Amino acid sequence: MKKFLILIFLAAALSAQAERVQIVTTYPYIASIAEQIGQERVRVHALAGGQWDPHTILPKPSFIARLRRADLLIINGAQLEIGWLPPLMNQANNPKIAVGSKGLLDLSRFVQLMDVPASVSRAHGDIHPDGNPHYYLDPANIPILAQAITAKLIEMDASGTTLYRKNLAAFLQAWNEHLAIWDSKMEKLRGVTVIEYHKNLDYFLSRYEIKIMATVELLPGIPPTSKHIQELEEKIAGCKVCYILQDIYNPDDASRHLAAKFNIPMVKMPHDVGSVPGAEGIFALFEEIVRRLTHD
Amino acid sequence: MRSKLYTLYTLSLAALTAGLLPAQETQSGGNPFAQAKFVPDISLILDASCIGRNHSDEAMERLVLPGFTAPEGNDAAHAHGSSNGQRGFNLNYGELVISSIVDPFFDLFLVCDLGEESFAIEEAYFTTRRIPWGLQLKGGKFLSHFGRLNSMHTHQWDFVDAPLIYAGLFGESLLNEKGVRLTWVAPLETYFMLGGEFSQGENSMSFGRDGFSAFDGQIDVKGSDGPNLVVAYAKSSVDIGHLTLLGGLSMAHGKNRINHGIEEGEALAQAGYGTTTITAVDLTLKYLFDSIRCLSLQAEYLHRNGAGDGWFIEPLAERLFVSAPYEQRQGGFYAQMVGRLNKRVRMGGRFDRIMQNDGSRPGETASMPNHLTRYTAMAEYNPTEFSRLRLQYTHDRSLYEATAPGYIQKPANEIILQINLAIGAHGAHAF
Ligand SMILES: [Zn+2]
Repeated sequence: MKKFLILIFLAAALSAQAERVQIVTTYPYIASIAEQIGQERVRVHALAGGQWDPHTILPKPSFIARLRRADLLIINGAQLEIGWLPPLMNQANNPKIAVGSKGLLDLSRFVQLMDVPASVSRAHGDIHPDGNPHYYLDPANIPILAQAITAKLIEMDASGTTLYRKNLAAFLQAWNEHLAIWDSKMEKLRGVTVIEYHKNLDYFLSRYEIKIMATVELLPGIPPTSKHIQELEEKIAGCKVCYILQDIYNPDDASRHLAAKFNIPMVKMPHDVGSVPGAEGIFALFEEIVRRLTHD
Repeated sequence: MRSKLYTLYTLSLAALTAGLLPAQETQSGGNPFAQAKFVPDISLILDASCIGRNHSDEAMERLVLPGFTAPEGNDAAHAHGSSNGQRGFNLNYGELVISSIVDPFFDLFLVCDLGEESFAIEEAYFTTRRIPWGLQLKGGKFLSHFGRLNSMHTHQWDFVDAPLIYAGLFGESLLNEKGVRLTWVAPLETYFMLGGEFSQGENSMSFGRDGFSAFDGQIDVKGSDGPNLVVAYAKSSVDIGHLTLLGGLSMAHGKNRINHGIEEGEALAQAGYGTTTITAVDLTLKYLFDSIRCLSLQAEYLHRNGAGDGWFIEPLAERLFVSAPYEQRQGGFYAQMVGRLNKRVRMGGRFDRIMQNDGSRPGETASMPNHLTRYTAMAEYNPTEFSRLRLQYTHDRSLYEATAPGYIQKPANEIILQINLAIGAHGAHAF
């Protein structure tokens, strides 16, 4: 009898599980937003871990199993996933999330991309042909993404409309409160000059009118050469550089060298939820970015 | 963006109706029937090499992998095919890939192999986009998904050449057939996939479709009347922290038609008709140290079991044939380790061994050598994702010269400098 009850309980738990909207996101920051909007009506799983380089995620076969069962796939888009996602989608062959289906949500379509190249050539490195895809690091873009995710969830699961709207309202309110604090903290850095490794933080930096003097990498995706470092040294010498911003996944020896030589602080910048301890959710990610730059 | 355009539009519409503005084109000229936006994804890969070897090209052509390949001149594919064939400079291939979504229901892929004086369709297939329940149908000509390596293109390999056992059982261009494939991905947390292929089975190394008739019909083997090959496999994968394991079991089964010059009735000609079953087990381990550095171990064991009727013409006995059953029981493996040290440098080693080489071949008088071994080491420098320079050294103890008294081992040492370049659409990485 006891066993029977347990079985019934398990079956009920499983069916409750099955009724939830199965969301797969490519990156953890999307999962964090989707969880806060969907809450108990959704089950969210991010494919890539926050500690990895978002451009070159290892396409593990387990991702195919995840995609196979997804009702909704939310991607960053703007070709950030081009190097790893398309064959996985083909192998998972889930019609619900295929290109052109309503179960595929490309967030890059809702924001204005920076640095859209007029013409593309790989002479300029592994460039992003649709523009800089790291748009989600502009805190002002997050509410837009949250709205897009809410609209999609309502489209797919209309009976949850009230909950999704309520969660979105709460999210937006909390976000605006935090944003006001981050804006005021960042005020003191307005107009300073920095160097970044990859054009990762452009959206964030341009929001606070922080100038980017150069990148440590030679060209997008191409590590620095000694000649490039030499040129950087000449540039830095005639300029007041406030920070060298290094991501957590590329080798930091060049940045470290420049930082030591010119006595400029090198800051390791989180790029996604889960990339560093303390950046466990979308709020904490920006909290951590601001904290690392402003020290408060 | 849209709202801005819309405002502009309403403004000019107001001006237009007020008679203030002549109608103006917002976009200039151009072909109203232009279809440029429908251009499929196109990429071109070029592979060239420079080779140094201890044997002359002619001597190399006479060498065989005993029990697997016949000397050049016979129609069976040779262990050293057209790629990397000559000492000095080689233009190995250009690979043109064109792919696109056809409509909501199909994807289409075309892979053309461009030789110096040849154009061949290496792969041309569709895959379905809309079949539910985790099923997918693939049809056309394609590399079989047998084992771990078979479905990969040459430029995706970690070494210049195919593992010994693959080259021995399928030839350098591996198992590439016209047919259909159905796969099913299980709706589980863990990756588990089942697949089956039904194809023509033209592969001349282990299967074959063409019939033959010789000696006024005394030897008469009918050609295949339909699909001749069945392939089935199961693959599964688990992640344990930063370690990913992928394993698979595969099987290929079909009729085998061997015909090495029996119709001409030359001395040493041989033929056979029987059944071949090839089974394989594969295992890959990939460990990520960080976003850049990773170490992968990959090993596969393949076994061929073949038997049937055989005919051969003895040396010095032209136009007289002898009937005898043939048998093949052959197995071997490769194990390789490849490490990515930084964004640009990869290094690896591979050990190849065929340890079982039993059976009798029609016309085979001496027993075949077993323990065929090869050692390979490589270092790669990848300036970007789109260009690769690879230096590979091979010490090959698997090659023999077939002489009347028996096989004579001819160890080969080879050094290859390979360049591989890709332009066009961004090819995504495979696991
Ligand atoms: Zn980037």
